[in-house]
Amino acid sequence: MSAEERKVAIVACAGMDKALGSVARACAFKVVQDLKPKESVLVCIPPLIIGVNSHSEWINKYPVVTIDGCAERCATKIVAEKRGKIRGRVFIPNGVKKHGLKPETSAEIGPEGEELAEKIADETALLIDKILRK
Amino acid sequence: MTIVKDKVGIVSCSGEDLPEGTISRIATRIVLEKLRPDDTVTICLPLFLAGSQDERAFARAFPTIAVDGCSKKCAEVGTQKYSGRPVATIVVSEIMKRHPHLKAKSRDNLGDEEKELVSIIAEEIAKKVDEVLGIKKKSGASN
Repeated sequence: MSAEERKVAIVACAGMDKALGSVARACAFKVVQDLKPKESVLVCIPPLIIGVNSHSEWINKYPVVTIDGCAERCATKIVAEKRGKIRGRVFIPNGVKKHGLKPETSAEIGPEGEELAEKIADETALLIDKILRK
Repeated sequence: MTIVKDKVGIVSCSGEDLPEGTISRIATRIVLEKLRPDDTVTICLPLFLAGSQDERAFARAFPTIAVDGCSKKCAEVGTQKYSGRPVATIVVSEIMKRHPHLKAKSRDNLGDEEKELVSIIAEEIAKKVDEVLGIKKKSGASN
């Protein structure tokens, strides 16, 4: 597999309704910008739905990790509908339970929300390593 | 008895591709929470696009304003596809052309220039909300 092919597509909830949507978004940025910039691409949900080619191509070309902020699991539903290859799923409410950190609001997740996003991003980076090792 | 007041649904780009997506999102929250809390509700774009009937029904019944980060206009296109044409669209990248001294650089850590842009966009959205509700009231009075 070439370096270009060794990537994972990250599709995150970017929901505005809930603070956990903002944590999902913050987590995705930490993964693609800081932790795994060479091994990941960030797929933006709205262009994926309206059919912007690059986003649709990424979820078909690369294994996908979805990051969902709530039980609606929009990121997972949308990727499944678009026939992307989901190889990993991250569910932010599970991270809240595990780490005992509570974000403040959707507009401002606050210090605990930032810490939560960092911890879940670290776990997502490990998941990416695992997927790419297979 | 419940009195249903006119509301405007704000459908914001939640884009992670560009800083303009983050500006759209935060400006929308300012309108919802501070500038026009009684007149607006948010429509969660991923939920709307994923097929939520509640979100789509709201967007069919009430006027919507799309707030898009860039010329792809995902919020406008998505709303039109699943519920109906928004009554107005605000495109952040277009408004930014009127303020060339302000640059959007970061998608996650907004600096002073981005924050100023957020304020400008939020005011534009609020102005549009007033226009939409005003227009609706006028046409209602004439019927």
